[in-house]
Amino acid sequence: MSERGSGERYWRSLEDLGDDPRFAEIAAREFPSLLPELADPRTRRTFLKLMGASMALAGLTACRWPEERILPFAKRPEGRVPGTPERYATAMELGGVARGLLVTSYDGRPIKIEGNPDHPGSAGATDSIAQAAILELFDPDRSRHPSQRVGGAHERRERADYESHIKGRIAALAGRGRGLAVLGEASSSPSLARMQGRLLRRFPALRWYEYEPVTRDNERLGADIALGAPLRTHLDLSSADVIVAFDADLLTGHPDALRHAREFAARRRADDGAMNRLHAVESAFSVTGAMADHRHAASSAAVAAFAGQLAAFVLGPLGELPRGLAQALARTEGRATAPFVEELADELRAHRGRGVVVAGPGQPPEVHALVHLMNDRLGNVNRTVHYTEDPGPTRPSHEAAIGELAEAIRSGEVETLVILGGNPVFDAPADVDFAGALGRLADSVHLSLYRNETSNACAWHVPRAHFLETWGDARAWDGTISIVQPLIEPLWGGVSPIELLSLLGDGEPAPGHDLVRETARGYLGRGGFESAWASALHDGLVEGSRLPRLPARPDPSRVARRVADWWPPVTPSETAGLEIVFLPDPKLHDGRFANNGWLQELPEPMTKMAWDNALLVGKATADEHGLRSHETAVVSVGEREIEAPVFVMPGQADGSLAIWLGQGRSVCGRVGDGVGADAYRLRTSGAMHRAVGASVRPTGKRHELATTQDHFAIDLLGLEETQRRRPELLREATLGEYREHPDFVRHRAHTPELHELWKPVEYDGYKWGMSIDLTACTGCSACVVACQAENNIPVVGKVEVIKGREMHWIRVDRYFKGEPDAPEVAFQPVTCHHCENAPCEQVCPVAATLHSEEGLNQMVYNRCIGTRYCSNNCPYKVRRFNFWNNQKATTDLEALRHNPEVTVRSRGVMEKCSYCVQRIEAARTLAKREDRRIADGDVTPACAQACPTQAIVFGDLNDRGSRVARAHASQRSYAMLEELKVKPRTRYLAKLRNPATDGGGDEHGGHA
Amino acid sequence: MRRVTDRGTDSTPYVFPKWANVLRPALALSVIGLPLYLTLLVTFGFSARTLNVGYAPEQPVPYSHALHVGELGMDCRYCHSTVERSRHAAIPPTETCMNCHTRIRAQSEKLAAVRVSAETGEPIPWVRVHDLPEYVYFNHESHVSAGVSCVSCHGRVDTMEVVRTVQPLSMSWCLDCHRNPDPHLRPLDRVTDLAWEPEDRVETGRQIREATGVSPSTDCWACHR
Repeated sequence: MSERGSGERYWRSLEDLGDDPRFAEIAAREFPSLLPELADPRTRRTFLKLMGASMALAGLTACRWPEERILPFAKRPEGRVPGTPERYATAMELGGVARGLLVTSYDGRPIKIEGNPDHPGSAGATDSIAQAAILELFDPDRSRHPSQRVGGAHERRERADYESHIKGRIAALAGRGRGLAVLGEASSSPSLARMQGRLLRRFPALRWYEYEPVTRDNERLGADIALGAPLRTHLDLSSADVIVAFDADLLTGHPDALRHAREFAARRRADDGAMNRLHAVESAFSVTGAMADHRHAASSAAVAAFAGQLAAFVLGPLGELPRGLAQALARTEGRATAPFVEELADELRAHRGRGVVVAGPGQPPEVHALVHLMNDRLGNVNRTVHYTEDPGPTRPSHEAAIGELAEAIRSGEVETLVILGGNPVFDAPADVDFAGALGRLADSVHLSLYRNETSNACAWHVPRAHFLETWGDARAWDGTISIVQPLIEPLWGGVSPIELLSLLGDGEPAPGHDLVRETARGYLGRGGFESAWASALHDGLVEGSRLPRLPARPDPSRVARRVADWWPPVTPSETAGLEIVFLPDPKLHDGRFANNGWLQELPEPMTKMAWDNALLVGKATADEHGLRSHETAVVSVGEREIEAPVFVMPGQADGSLAIWLGQGRSVCGRVGDGVGADAYRLRTSGAMHRAVGASVRPTGKRHELATTQDHFAIDLLGLEETQRRRPELLREATLGEYREHPDFVRHRAHTPELHELWKPVEYDGYKWGMSIDLTACTGCSACVVACQAENNIPVVGKVEVIKGREMHWIRVDRYFKGEPDAPEVAFQPVTCHHCENAPCEQVCPVAATLHSEEGLNQMVYNRCIGTRYCSNNCPYKVRRFNFWNNQKATTDLEALRHNPEVTVRSRGVMEKCSYCVQRIEAARTLAKREDRRIADGDVTPACAQACPTQAIVFGDLNDRGSRVARAHASQRSYAMLEELKVKPRTRYLAKLRNPATDGGGDEHGGHA
Repeated sequence: MRRVTDRGTDSTPYVFPKWANVLRPALALSVIGLPLYLTLLVTFGFSARTLNVGYAPEQPVPYSHALHVGELGMDCRYCHSTVERSRHAAIPPTETCMNCHTRIRAQSEKLAAVRVSAETGEPIPWVRVHDLPEYVYFNHESHVSAGVSCVSCHGRVDTMEVVRTVQPLSMSWCLDCHRNPDPHLRPLDRVTDLAWEPEDRVETGRQIREATGVSPSTDCWACHR
């Protein structure tokens, strides 16, 4: 039945496409590798022994309830109601950009992070990194005390020790502060800037460096070329009809990604019959590439070349080009000009003022300069593209700064270095040899959340306070100032960068609260300061503090001079060897979150790989070099080489390798130590984003990667049948087809007439349901981590993930479609469908899963005896079984993050999505208090709450006006596996694409 | 379909060893013994004694509800002030005690622990009397606002010198009321009046249920999540 190689076929992985026996094995066994384990007599005996021991213990401890103490406040804070969660606005700064957050605190413990609905960058949504910050706060591996290096090792010290050491050091410096330097992370904090200014006034000779390994400096440099100043570009995707992205992951890999995703998705739903169109030209498959209507895979160098060709087409006919630029771009002749570039230019010209051209941080400054020129000529500036000042416009690039610092240390100009956060020993360019430079310093102090590679190389380590423990401030991408307010006292007495700077500058540490308030007096105004401060704290932002938009025109002649020197960009074919592109880890950013189990275990959206990084190679390149997935290879650039596992990634550009930075940490913690390969060791100055002339050779060594893409394959009647049904499971159409056949979803699958065998149950109270819009879902997986945080879902580790035992209640299926070198991608989040005729309930021998009066498929942990029949019978494969006591290793400290509204599950019980029933019950209590029904929007499950594109909608189906009822009534709405008549409460809205060549088609989507 | 092979016979014979014969009498014994065991388990496992009805631990402060509520006539909500808007009725903070006891019996020996707590800010470590399992999500607010009196679960606390449990607090006991709430419903202004007794409890409760539409859930997830 399945059509081999046809464009209509969906596949999960190359193994699936090639009918690899490995995939067949995984799909056929619902819980892979379970059988060998239980059949192994040794593990079985150990298991029985353990069971016996635990039974004996149970007998002893169950004699009497343990005595429990209640410790009420001696003096209860005003307004505090025990057992009632409270929410506070705060912000998390990453790479110098604030994310606005609302943090739920339960009896003084922060337990859940959500987006701040009032914040311009968030609008209530979050990404997975912000969601996982709770885990970081309570991480037992965080640094707990200051330390000093004595000989080769660090010895424990107290706070007073380092304070007196620094005071002594400052006193010795006296005068202009020669020899003193500070290395900071990128920060937009007004308080930090104020403290920096104060310090520089006291020590005019002090040197201040800023380094961020994941840098967007090319954007600044490009703006500097084109606009004469390093202005910051802001995109307004809500009014963009055509978006062209060159190696730019706008939807997940951008500081303003949440707003981009929201605005982008709002133009995809085709409610008014129109959609935007996204073109992506990129080397590695990004989420933005997956959402694109047209994606062109090209090496990073070729992407730059395409951008130049597009510029030639766009700029040529529109206006007088300076000669230098015209000549430079004319040299594209003779080079193969892809026809799609010309079509792109036509389309952009047809949508003057309603298009966006954007390049990613990995593209060279010249490409950014050309992009500014194109946006200007296309009339997009001040419509879809805006400019503001960049905070800190005068600093050198991060790459230059770290090199200069190392040089200054080597030449003896810097003797004392204070490092505020960061981990330069691990992530500085490999040729800088920062560790070697640190060894030459007379004195060094490292402020850090964890004891990491850099801490060990410094003379002093000072624990840093987590952002949930300390006062601070930071600016969002659009410049809006947020106050960072603490939710809890520092667990380990850490200090914030501004507090350390005050110690450095004033000789006495001032509390962060006073420092931030002092700064706020500057921007909140003196009149009515207290009320302005209170409302800034309450709202989580300072009203009207957005950076003003600046009028800016690019200067073509400046661009011409630079481009003429640079053009043409080197393409891999011209150099010996391959190109390797260094990307920030989609989950760990620059590696700072490597000890975060939630992020490590999160399957990355595109590769569906957890717990590792890998060398991503295209199929043709892999075949050429004899590379295979799950085997390692040695990559070398010049004399530097690393060994990394290979993952053959569909859609990866030929001749281009990609690897994520941030894994391969050696001094990290119990979670992150030794996971993955360290790609920083290949990255050198001048090649921060891509290196050329790389070579790769397979080692043949096996390295199993924890890819979840083939897990929980919906296996009905074998693989053939699965293949046939995929277009039914995930229904999609082009905009043209949708316009012609608005009811296409009903024809994608032919469901036989379904009859009721018995009188159906009427749900006349609340009738909970969910709708997931596949057009809006970007696959970003913020929902997965949000669910994990809300529902106390454990981390199981790489070995268990490989066995298919990950515990996530919601998974995001990623399907490829079409040819392996240029596939289309569709994402489909799947969680418990809360079927009205739930197959799981009918097979449970102990009634541990049964239906509620409101249609929820309830799971009762205490009754569950672990037969796993329910999971076997679940058509959606959404039930998760605790093969081990996954919470056994949870320390008391980590348990503080648990949501007290959700039971912590033990070994041997099944669990699954509950539609966040604890939130339903909370809303019910509130509604009853106000004597009303639960209104639409009162209940938002954690997944829907986190979703940047609001793809997930939840509510009462009996309320005709509710968003979910309207979504279920939509033409695009369909139920997965409708023919089973399980009557799922979760329905999908079919995916729409908007290709330029949209021939329409019949409503059956080409199937028989 | 997987092909069934018979590899087991020659390499690893699945034959019971001789000692397994002992299992036969053991099995027979368990057939007789098991029903007996189960009967005993249910009889004693669910008895009031096992469920610890009457549990009255000694508290760090010899606080008498009989004196404060019964004799002095204080309302439950003077101390348990959050009972109408939180899951917890909440043990009062020390300062609630000190509202009166800075003047009344300010030097009493029995109040020493209270004074220490007020001075140092350290909490008084009260012992929990009514202890539900961790997987039960009981909410005081929903019950009190529906017209279920304190007395239904806690008994006549206004007569107790030392608080003790009077109800089994077992799931079947909870369900008795969730299935038939009438005997436990009363007007909202009588919820904390522990001595209040209507002429016909069932009829009064029925009228209140019909007027307010109280319909307790018997869904698992009403109490367990």
